[in-house]
Amino acid sequence: MINMDILSLFIVVPALTVLVLIFTKNLKQARIVALAGSLVQLGMAINLIFSYIKERAMNDAIMVFTKDVVWFKNFNIHYNIGVDGISVALLLLTAIIVLAGVFISWKMEDLPKEFFISLIVLSIGVYGFFISIDLFTMFVFFEIAVIPMYLLIGIWGTGPREFSAMKLTLMLMGASAILLVGILGIYFNSNADGGALTFNILEIAKVNIPSDVQKLFFPITFIGFAVIGALFPFHTWSPDGHASAPTAVSMLHAGVLMKLGGYGVFRVAIFLLPEGALHWSWFFIILSAFGVIYGAFAAIKQTDLKYINAYSSVSHLGLVLFALLMLNKTAWNGAILQSLSHGLMTALFFALIGMIYGRTHTRDVTKLGGLLKVIPFISAVYVIAGLASLGLPGFSGFVAEMNIFVGAFQNDDIFYRVATILAVSAIVVTAVYILRVVGIMLMGPVKNEAYLTLEKVRWYEKIGIVLLLLPIISIGVAPLWLSELILKSLDPFLRGVL
Amino acid sequence: MRQEIALLAIIMLLVIAEIFIPKDRKVSIIHLTIFLFGIHTIVGFFHMDENNLFGGMFRTNHLIHFFKNILNIGVLILLLQSADWIQEKILNQNKGSEFFILMFSSLLGIYFMISAGDFLMFYLGLELSTLPVAALAAYETMKRISSESGIKLILSSALASGVSLFGISMLYATTGSIYFNEIVQMISSTNLTLLGMVLLFAGISFKISLVPFHFWTADVYEGAPISIASYLSVISKGAAVFILMILLFTVLRPLAHIWENMIYMIAIATMFIGNLFALRQQNMKRFLAFSSIAQAGFILLGLIGQSTTGTATVVYFVLIYIFSNLAAFGVVQAISLQTGKENIKDYEGLYRTNPNLSLVLMLALFSLAGIPPVAGFFGKFFLFTAAASKGFFLLVFLAVVNVTISLYYYLLVIRAMFLRKGDNPIPFFKNKIYMRIGLVITVLGILLLGIYSPLYDYIYELSSTFN
Amino acid sequence: MNYIILIPIVPLAVFLILGLFYKKIKPAISGYTGVMGLFISTCLAFYTAYNYFFVIGKTEGVYQTFVAKTVWMNFTDSLRIDMGILADPISVMMLIVVSVISLMVHIYSRGYMKGDPGYTKYFAFLSLFTFSMYGLVLATNLFQIYIFWELVGVSSYLLIGYYYTKESAVAAAKKAFIVTRFADLGFLIGILLIGYYTGTYDFEILNNPEGAAILSWASTSFMGLSILTWALLLIFIGGAGKSAMFPLHIWLPDAMEGPTPVSALIHAATMVVAGVYLVARLFPMYYFVEDGFALNIVAFVGGFTALFAAVIAITQTDIKRVLAFSTMSQLGYMMLALGVSGYEGHEGLGYMASMFHLFTHAMFKALLFLCAGSVIHAIHSNFLKDMGGLRKYMPITNITFLIAALAIAGVPPLAGFWSKDEILVAAFEHNKFLYVIGLFVAGLTAFYIFRIYFGIFWGKEGSYKHKPHESPWSMTAPLLILAFLSIVGGLIPFSRFISADKIGFETHTNYPLAAIAVFVGLIGIGLSWMFYKKENELANRFSLGFGTFYTWAYNKFYFDELYLFVAKKIMFNGIARSAARFDKKYVDGTMVGIGNQTVKTSEKIKGMQSGKVQDYAFAFIAGAVILAIICIYIWTN
Repeated sequence: MINMDILSLFIVVPALTVLVLIFTKNLKQARIVALAGSLVQLGMAINLIFSYIKERAMNDAIMVFTKDVVWFKNFNIHYNIGVDGISVALLLLTAIIVLAGVFISWKMEDLPKEFFISLIVLSIGVYGFFISIDLFTMFVFFEIAVIPMYLLIGIWGTGPREFSAMKLTLMLMGASAILLVGILGIYFNSNADGGALTFNILEIAKVNIPSDVQKLFFPITFIGFAVIGALFPFHTWSPDGHASAPTAVSMLHAGVLMKLGGYGVFRVAIFLLPEGALHWSWFFIILSAFGVIYGAFAAIKQTDLKYINAYSSVSHLGLVLFALLMLNKTAWNGAILQSLSHGLMTALFFALIGMIYGRTHTRDVTKLGGLLKVIPFISAVYVIAGLASLGLPGFSGFVAEMNIFVGAFQNDDIFYRVATILAVSAIVVTAVYILRVVGIMLMGPVKNEAYLTLEKVRWYEKIGIVLLLLPIISIGVAPLWLSELILKSLDPFLRGVL
Repeated sequence: MRQEIALLAIIMLLVIAEIFIPKDRKVSIIHLTIFLFGIHTIVGFFHMDENNLFGGMFRTNHLIHFFKNILNIGVLILLLQSADWIQEKILNQNKGSEFFILMFSSLLGIYFMISAGDFLMFYLGLELSTLPVAALAAYETMKRISSESGIKLILSSALASGVSLFGISMLYATTGSIYFNEIVQMISSTNLTLLGMVLLFAGISFKISLVPFHFWTADVYEGAPISIASYLSVISKGAAVFILMILLFTVLRPLAHIWENMIYMIAIATMFIGNLFALRQQNMKRFLAFSSIAQAGFILLGLIGQSTTGTATVVYFVLIYIFSNLAAFGVVQAISLQTGKENIKDYEGLYRTNPNLSLVLMLALFSLAGIPPVAGFFGKFFLFTAAASKGFFLLVFLAVVNVTISLYYYLLVIRAMFLRKGDNPIPFFKNKIYMRIGLVITVLGILLLGIYSPLYDYIYELSSTFN
Repeated sequence: MNYIILIPIVPLAVFLILGLFYKKIKPAISGYTGVMGLFISTCLAFYTAYNYFFVIGKTEGVYQTFVAKTVWMNFTDSLRIDMGILADPISVMMLIVVSVISLMVHIYSRGYMKGDPGYTKYFAFLSLFTFSMYGLVLATNLFQIYIFWELVGVSSYLLIGYYYTKESAVAAAKKAFIVTRFADLGFLIGILLIGYYTGTYDFEILNNPEGAAILSWASTSFMGLSILTWALLLIFIGGAGKSAMFPLHIWLPDAMEGPTPVSALIHAATMVVAGVYLVARLFPMYYFVEDGFALNIVAFVGGFTALFAAVIAITQTDIKRVLAFSTMSQLGYMMLALGVSGYEGHEGLGYMASMFHLFTHAMFKALLFLCAGSVIHAIHSNFLKDMGGLRKYMPITNITFLIAALAIAGVPPLAGFWSKDEILVAAFEHNKFLYVIGLFVAGLTAFYIFRIYFGIFWGKEGSYKHKPHESPWSMTAPLLILAFLSIVGGLIPFSRFISADKIGFETHTNYPLAAIAVFVGLIGIGLSWMFYKKENELANRFSLGFGTFYTWAYNKFYFDELYLFVAKKIMFNGIARSAARFDKKYVDGTMVGIGNQTVKTSEKIKGMQSGKVQDYAFAFIAGAVILAIICIYIWTN
């Protein structure tokens, strides 16, 4: 019976954390509270995975642990939550990254309380988004997740923080505004089969929305979500945003926030408007495939570590959208796995960049050099993260990419072949920019004498790193359980696209 | 009729009080007023009356009654927020009770206006609600700018009511009646009728400050005392919206196919103009003035939705809007009272000195911008839903574009308060009790009105009885 | 035979231990751990070989394939990646090669790397490489082989870049990884194609001559060739990348930046033959699909590389680079042999010869490298000009190098002779042209190898700062062992164990061909004797005779420059930079532009708010009138 509301806890616990945080006096208290909260979250997420697997064994509904409370009855808006394999995986990801983020911001001196509050509020949005079945609720949480970014970047950021924060917020909120149109479009056609209007995703999925409506609203919904998924050419908020954001925020942002895009595209655009997807996929495949290559190439010439990562995110997440549009289970599986692995990897990258920046006070690769000698642990992990992100077997990235490529190859048609091969060839470019950084920054002689005395890695940094590194490796070495977990939840999505 | 009588009684009491309370104890007038009006507001919630008087000249029903309650709450908050200002700036010119009397009589006018069953009553109410405000706008006679705004208001509103009277006369000419329920049967889309409708609409739009009838707004808000500015921007605007809705949905329903287009156009114009002007305002009051114009544009999306949903969403939004805007004005009021500063630039670094005030303002602005989970989001979302339900997706799209624009300038204020450190931030100060109560009420409203869904359901119920 | 799984597990365990606790462990300990681990694996490998070839391997005359595997990941219901071990003649043979060489290198390294700061790290990497190589060899399906393919690639990257403070080493490592990565792109696409069109990655199913996989080639076609042929060609690109086939060879010479033992292990004996092994692994497909179209390509690429590399080898002055090019050339031999091979019985001679040469070459080439290492260890230089007359200082190195040189030159009865002879015979029987090339290369090989032999150990003494001395036992012992293997290795009757159709056959030495080969080899040796044994002008005059051709060969025919141009000018400055600029200027520009435009507009329209009531009144009336007009004249009808 307690299981029935195992999900609402994902909203309640962080909410309580925030309440407690309000009464904290200083950094020490704030971080302890935040830490406790996010630890509990992680525990719940792990517990959720197991209880989900247990539940799944006897319950073959699309969503389990569902809870449905009427909210605004006149619009038929419900607070309606539930999870499937995809969302539990993403919830776990979120919990991990939030916890790591708390560790990484262990020394957040300026307005610590406010910082952690915004961080946790953001996570509330993300959790809520992943467990929502109701479009309205989903949208609410979506915006709750986005808006704290403004303060987080604006107050605690570096460089042109005000500009970046404004740009990021406006582009994302603009996208969500467009998304709102799409959602209303879906809502007002959810009675196509004569039922009542509803925001309930599972209900709408059963409805046969007229195909011209689908063709009209698919691109709107898709773009509305894809902007936060860094779809070319709407990705430009991300490089500046990442560059200006404080470490933990970059982690959360690239790690989980950008995943909302892919998830939304999948759960709403493709699931509810399959015919629209079939009709438009070619167009967005071109965009995303181009984005994959483009992002990788753009990353090569950057000198700011965070920009390199931002563009590599554009490339990696382009792959997610690309895979989603391939409209088959293997590719979808790959897309979700890619979301997870990219989340972990970029979070790890940003954490490391933050540590390097905190010590050397520069993110310019050309100024750094030979760090492997000075801060071996951080540098070694950076190398590992690099190898992971260029898709080396034994790390999560490989698993995801292979699923995507194999899935993409299921479409036997010259257009898909060309697009796929284009996307696949990105793995080489990725190798180029990763190894370039590793070569310039970590290897070679130590450029700056001052660096010889950099302080070694601290315990909380270590914990943060390990927290992220473990899942990357464990997914990469033994992907079966995870990919099965996801694969089993993909059948409902096939309904419309066959 | 009960509320009207009650309010009238309060006015009388104040007159008497003014006479008997000695000069040195005028302060008690403030307490007295707030006490009385508080009672009046609370009583309003018990037993909604529903009747038809003077052969249909005056009619009231649950929705109208409820709307009066909403306005009462608004005014009450307003009184709380302006109490300190009156005490410090007005009493010494011993114009305390006049202030209240004027404001209440304007409110009384509004009561009559929205309960009007025919155009005569409507017009009386309209005038009664406008003229006192002109006086109030010019209340700070010491300030040139204040009297200027008074003049501007009186002139423009005279024009407006003249025009609407002209329109009414035309409707009368074509339909041969001034009673709403009779006009409905007679009315048909003859040119004269349409002209009448447009002129009438223009007159009311003036109060709602819809483009192109909005020009007075910014100047008057800037000049007038803040409490009057906020009175104009929430109370009289809200009332005008309501009466416009009544007219459109009842009297002019037969012409819906025409005024739909009109609303459509005006809505777009209002949203864009309001937002584009708000973008580059430096003065908080002007800023809020234009933002309130833009908000009016959004409200039209609810009107165009028609039907019960339309009515409900509009009333709901006005309620939320009152709370959000009053919160914003309240903070501006407090700060300007303490430091006389009214520019966005002065707010830099406010959070680090006055965290609570800046949090209130942030919530208010988020609510105006429509960011969940605060009330404003729900209000806007439902307005858009109402418009979309009639299939106006393009309009909704333009509206959301405007939401994004508006977000930009709301964030500018938040940037000033939170992101900037500021060279000489406003030092910390504590507010008086009334102001604090006023702000707390608004904040509670902003936080709860949206999430607490039964409220909307209740409004929806009332609206369904309405048409 | 499931204990085979232990062979890769042990080095993996060693890697994990050394990797996780590398701060705590003392260098000496880590060295021993590495060696012990490898020793265990080697014993197991030999036991496996004995067990497989002599006890349980054969049933009614055919060598069986033993497979033990488990699901690693499911793509679709049919398509999936398995992890497992596969024992068949070539994989078992490879086990031996990898184990022996790796063990030797481990022992050798304990001497060679003594006192190096990263001692433990070094051994960790060696174990990692060995583990990955085992995994590659034992792979049961294309995807598994690809996975370990990448892993050997990365361990090679780590080891080439071992001296990470040296810019050149870093560059070389990067180059090696990216070039092979580029080749692997082909490999991957090939795998994807095969997966899609045959519905499996499993070697057993793919390689079955009568199986649906192979027979299905006729049903698909793309630009006149069967898609399976395309797939095989793409896979060969992958193989070519690892095995440094022309034109993907450019990384191998630079890879010599790594520690010499590493070169011996990875870039001479084991990893670089992975390409050959891959083609051999898929041999039935290559042979049967579209009548071996892809296989012919393999043959010619191999032949050309053999020649090309041998020519360059002659001109190089860095002994390790000479050996690197020699390796390329020998790998070319192996590819050539595979390319000209048939399938059944004696037809499959080429296949057998290729594997045979792989085996023997591993021994003597590793030996050559280790000798070179011992020399470099002694005089701290790679360049011939700093060497000479070392034979009296380092007798053991001298002898063992000589043995290896004779072996690679194909002098009977050393190992090289037998394997090379088989290759030439196979070539002769199938393709005379390639035979001639092979023969010529044999001559060149003999020439360049003795060129450096004489250059190092004979001729005028170099000016040594301190007197060179023989290397310690830990280094010379492996030399002796390998020397022994290079002598006897060729006497193994390989064809009984390894053949394309797994049945095994008898080979009879083809005396005339053998005689010719030996003769050519001796000519080569003779020439270099004349040129380099004593100081004389012959060599220079000779090289001048070739003029530009010599300079071209000396500069490796300018391939590095070509690639550099493509990478730097086109990729970096061309595409990458313009992409970055385009993004900042246009894509981002548009987004920001929209924002600025909005603000500008609001600037423009601010005049409307004049502040004059009369204007307002006018606007009011005008608005009302216009509205009325529109209402009446447009919206009513």
